Amino acid sequence: MTQVRTVSPAVASIVAARATEVVKLYGSGDTAVRALDHVSVELVRGEFTAIMGPSGSGKSTLMHCLAGLDAVTAGIVEIGDVELSGLSDKKMTALRRDRIGFVFQSFNLVPTLTALENITLPIAIAGRTPDQPWLDMVITTLGLSDRLHHRPSELSGGQQQRVAVGRALAGQPEIIFGDEPTGNLDSRSSGEVMGILRRSVDDLGQTVVIVTHDPKAASYADRVLFLADGRIVDELRAPTADAVLDRMKKLEG
Amino acid sequence: MTAATLRNPMRVVSVRNLAAHKVRLILTVVSVLLGTAFVAGSFVFTDTLNRSFTKIFNSADRGIDSRVEARKSYDPGVPLSLVDQVRALPGVRAVQPVATASIVLIGKDGKRVSTGGAPSEGKIWTSAVDSVTTPPTFVTGTAPVAAGQVVINNGAAKKARLATGDHAKVVLPNAGVVDVTISGVYRTETETGGYVGVLFSRPQALQLLTDGSHLSALDVAAGNGVSEQTLTARIAQILPADLKAQTGDQVRKDDQQGIQTALSFVNYILLAFGFIALVVGTFIIYNTFSMIVAQRLRELALLRAVGADRKQIRRSVVLEAGIIGAIGSVAGLAGGVGLAFGLHALLDALNLGLPSGGLVISPRTVLVALLAGTGVTLLSAYAPARRAAKIPPVAAMREEFASASAGSLRRRTLIGSVVGGLGVLATVAGAASNKGGTAAGLIGLGLLAVGAGAMLLSPLLAGWVITPLGKLLGRPFGAVGELARTNAVRNPRRTAATSFALTLGLLLVSGVAVIGASMKSSINSLFDNNVSASYSLSSQADLGVPIRAAAAAGRVAGVGSMTELHDLAVQLDGGGGQSGTAVDGPLAPVLKVDVKRGAAAPGPGTMIVSDSTAKKSGWGVGSTHMLSTHNGRTITETVSGVYKDNQLLGPWMVTGEVYRALVPTNQWSDIVALIKAAPGTDEAALRAGLERVTDPYYVINVQNRSEFKGQLASQVNGLLGLVYGMLGLAIVIAVLGIINTLALSVVERRREIGMLRAVGMQRKQVRRTIYVESLLIATFGALLGLVLGVTYGSLFAATLLRSQGLDRLSIPWTQAVAFLVAAAVVGVLAALWPGVRAARTRPLEAIATS
Ligand SMILES: Nc1ncnc2c1ncn2[C@@H]1O[C@H](COP(=O)(O)OP(=O)(O)OP(=O)(O)O)[C@@H](O)[C@H]1O
Ligand SMILES: [Mg+2]
Repeated sequence: MTQVRTVSPAVASIVAARATEVVKLYGSGDTAVRALDHVSVELVRGEFTAIMGPSGSGKSTLMHCLAGLDAVTAGIVEIGDVELSGLSDKKMTALRRDRIGFVFQSFNLVPTLTALENITLPIAIAGRTPDQPWLDMVITTLGLSDRLHHRPSELSGGQQQRVAVGRALAGQPEIIFGDEPTGNLDSRSSGEVMGILRRSVDDLGQTVVIVTHDPKAASYADRVLFLADGRIVDELRAPTADAVLDRMKKLEG
Repeated sequence: MTAATLRNPMRVVSVRNLAAHKVRLILTVVSVLLGTAFVAGSFVFTDTLNRSFTKIFNSADRGIDSRVEARKSYDPGVPLSLVDQVRALPGVRAVQPVATASIVLIGKDGKRVSTGGAPSEGKIWTSAVDSVTTPPTFVTGTAPVAAGQVVINNGAAKKARLATGDHAKVVLPNAGVVDVTISGVYRTETETGGYVGVLFSRPQALQLLTDGSHLSALDVAAGNGVSEQTLTARIAQILPADLKAQTGDQVRKDDQQGIQTALSFVNYILLAFGFIALVVGTFIIYNTFSMIVAQRLRELALLRAVGADRKQIRRSVVLEAGIIGAIGSVAGLAGGVGLAFGLHALLDALNLGLPSGGLVISPRTVLVALLAGTGVTLLSAYAPARRAAKIPPVAAMREEFASASAGSLRRRTLIGSVVGGLGVLATVAGAASNKGGTAAGLIGLGLLAVGAGAMLLSPLLAGWVITPLGKLLGRPFGAVGELARTNAVRNPRRTAATSFALTLGLLLVSGVAVIGASMKSSINSLFDNNVSASYSLSSQADLGVPIRAAAAAGRVAGVGSMTELHDLAVQLDGGGGQSGTAVDGPLAPVLKVDVKRGAAAPGPGTMIVSDSTAKKSGWGVGSTHMLSTHNGRTITETVSGVYKDNQLLGPWMVTGEVYRALVPTNQWSDIVALIKAAPGTDEAALRAGLERVTDPYYVINVQNRSEFKGQLASQVNGLLGLVYGMLGLAIVIAVLGIINTLALSVVERRREIGMLRAVGMQRKQVRRTIYVESLLIATFGALLGLVLGVTYGSLFAATLLRSQGLDRLSIPWTQAVAFLVAAAVVGVLAALWPGVRAARTRPLEAIATS
């Protein structure tokens, strides 16, 4: 099934991640669910992308497939110039560790480690030493300087999510994925976290992809992709909250 | 069935919970099973032995209506003249003379027939006329009719490869080696494995097995219509004061009691194993239920929120415990039967003289096993059940409760400090006391209290110890080590309960290792300081060194001097019986006697006594004492010297003349003969000479100093072997406990591990985290146990050995380190399976919502 594809260096340098004709089936036979139906998408370096769509439309699935957390049924996923299908678990894990950052909706942090230890965890796991000036800058940007030695249980939900963002940024990954990273937060904390992600794109040149249900959160992005029934059905550039809400209504209606 | 409502929702929830977590169920059941199995096994094993031995004795005692024997064991026995007197009494059908002595049978291959633990004895062949019961039947051959003829039992014949018509040899204490011809091979109904029974014709038996004038007993059968009581009363009337007559029923009852007393020791040891297993199991069960409650927190809170009250929650947890306890104890009962079977088969294979027969499973065994297993489980689950009942209904909705710790340790720490402190006080008081018994008692009490205190304090200690330990041991593993360390101290209660199984095991084994090592080195130093013999002669069999063999050895060229020691049991000053030493030959060249007052050796008419004997009995130089046996032989000795207590010398010493005057001729033998080489003698030639003259006696060991010393010290090894068995058991349970706890915490941390996998932790690293965590927990438990074990082992050694005259404290450090390393390895091994399970966690499980 897998066809050989060559990627020209010029294109690879601007595309951080790419999905080509990706199909994802859950289950088999009559009860099979087609969560992704021939999705093709390119995520460009230094761009902030938001994925939206009704519940069950396949947003999380797409993100998991792009981030190497789940295998696709058919199609090709690439991170930078690496094609994910056929990678061993070991290589895949190392790729996640070194080139991808994650922010989950909850259960982001190791409860026994301090905020700082959580931030540097992937670097420590890799057995590397953190880039100190970069780390300092990330911590300052996150506004966590006085909370570094607290355990997750001693932090508010918003602070916990900021620590998670800090962890994603600390390793200078090629791309950061977030599945509803503000799903558990109030609008103020949500705004803080989105602001930090936005700044990481603007100031640090990060590539960020998030899934969200919140039009306000989506308005921080450069580009919004709309999913329905496992397909990309629409796209919006330089979105405002109102414009996003409009499109969503159309999709659901 | 369309009934939409559950009739007993709480029970349904409990039962479904058990079914849904099979691994957890199995591990918990196994921990209940192990404890119960040992308890049940020990009962089954001893009951079985008891029944088998009872059967043997009953068959041996069959037909006896009355038995005549001496009142005191050190009496020579029943005068031969009494046989005819008893036979002449009205109502007597048969009088069977009984004489028994330890012998050694030499097999066809010229080697002694070893019996394991079973007796090897010579007895009198009795014809049908004189037998109280039917005499044994012959497999081949006929009864011994002349001197030099014997019959032997079938088992012995097979083992010795002897058949009717063969020539063989029998070794006896005084007579030495006797040549015999096998005239027949007889069969006994019940026979313990390894038993050797050689029956001589009556005249020769009297000559070899008795002093020529006394039998060990008379068994009497009554004629028709005469009751046991009547017969016994008639016999009693003609008996002198030192003899007694008992009815056959009494004889059988006494024998039965004897068996039970002998077996109770075995029973206690096995029950001790069971007890340890149950105690250790308690921690594991407690842990499991605590974790089950923690994992079900949300579910329990939900049940509370929808209206279940506290009692219902508590009951549902207790119900789960009851089910697990019941399954575990039934399995344990089965396991116990298997264990008893295995033990029996093992001892059988080793030929240790066990009777054969089916296993006995009494109702008592079943009841005790079920009660113990279920009781311990319910007890261990009680605290977690109470905690479960306290869960507030809001926990169902609120995230932070899901990982809430079980509350403060303050109360536990306080109680632990008080109990531990009292233990330390008792220990100090014990160590300061100079009365052996009280000291050991106080220290024992202190150990119990300190142990309990350590258990209560161990969550606190775990934090203190594991943090620096983890930094040290975890360093080579980097971030993985760091994670493992924080995981190990994450839930101190759990860590404490997990590691305490190892603490107990190590406490036991290191304590006994210290005592054992101290005993060995004390024996060594005792030997080095007090024994100057070049060679020793001792016996491989019960019968001692035949005096002829010793005499022959004394004539070997190069022997400077020979000193023979005899064991002498007498009645002292008309009071109780006591055992002392009789000596032939000079003491000074071979044994050091540390004289406090007077003479250094007994002489004609004089004895020397140990310091403590002198103090205890108020004896002193110049006091006179009567050594007697009941037949009227009494010798009066005057104390001529007092020596410092010494295990090798015994409480008092007399000359060999006293021994020979008091002990029947046929029993004369040496406990040991010590030989000092003449100056300038070639040691190798001397040894060869000694071996040449003693070889014909088959049973004699010629040993040089280090061999003799080693033999003394090797007695300590038996004790150590037993305790290493206990360690093995404690470790098995500890391993199960660690596996259980880790497996459950892996389940508990599924999301966290998934998240770690998502952010780039390799499978290998996940596994390693679990290994290091387990390593730390195990090392902590082992360290705590080692510290306690070495401390208390030393204290016990110091007080116990002091009272035994052994005074070398020796701590086997290398062994201690080996134990620690072993515990660490065990910790890692226990983590293998949970580690693999954890590594299988998929990254997406971090995001899974259930
Ligand atoms: N592990 C799975 N097994 C079977 N079906 C699945 C699985 N995961 C997702 N699905 C199905 O795939 C489809 C897409 O699911 P996905 O989680 O990607 O939706 P989503 O857009 O993230 O929804 P939401 O906004 O509710 O998070 C749904 O129909 C879902 O039921
Ligand atoms: Mg989703």
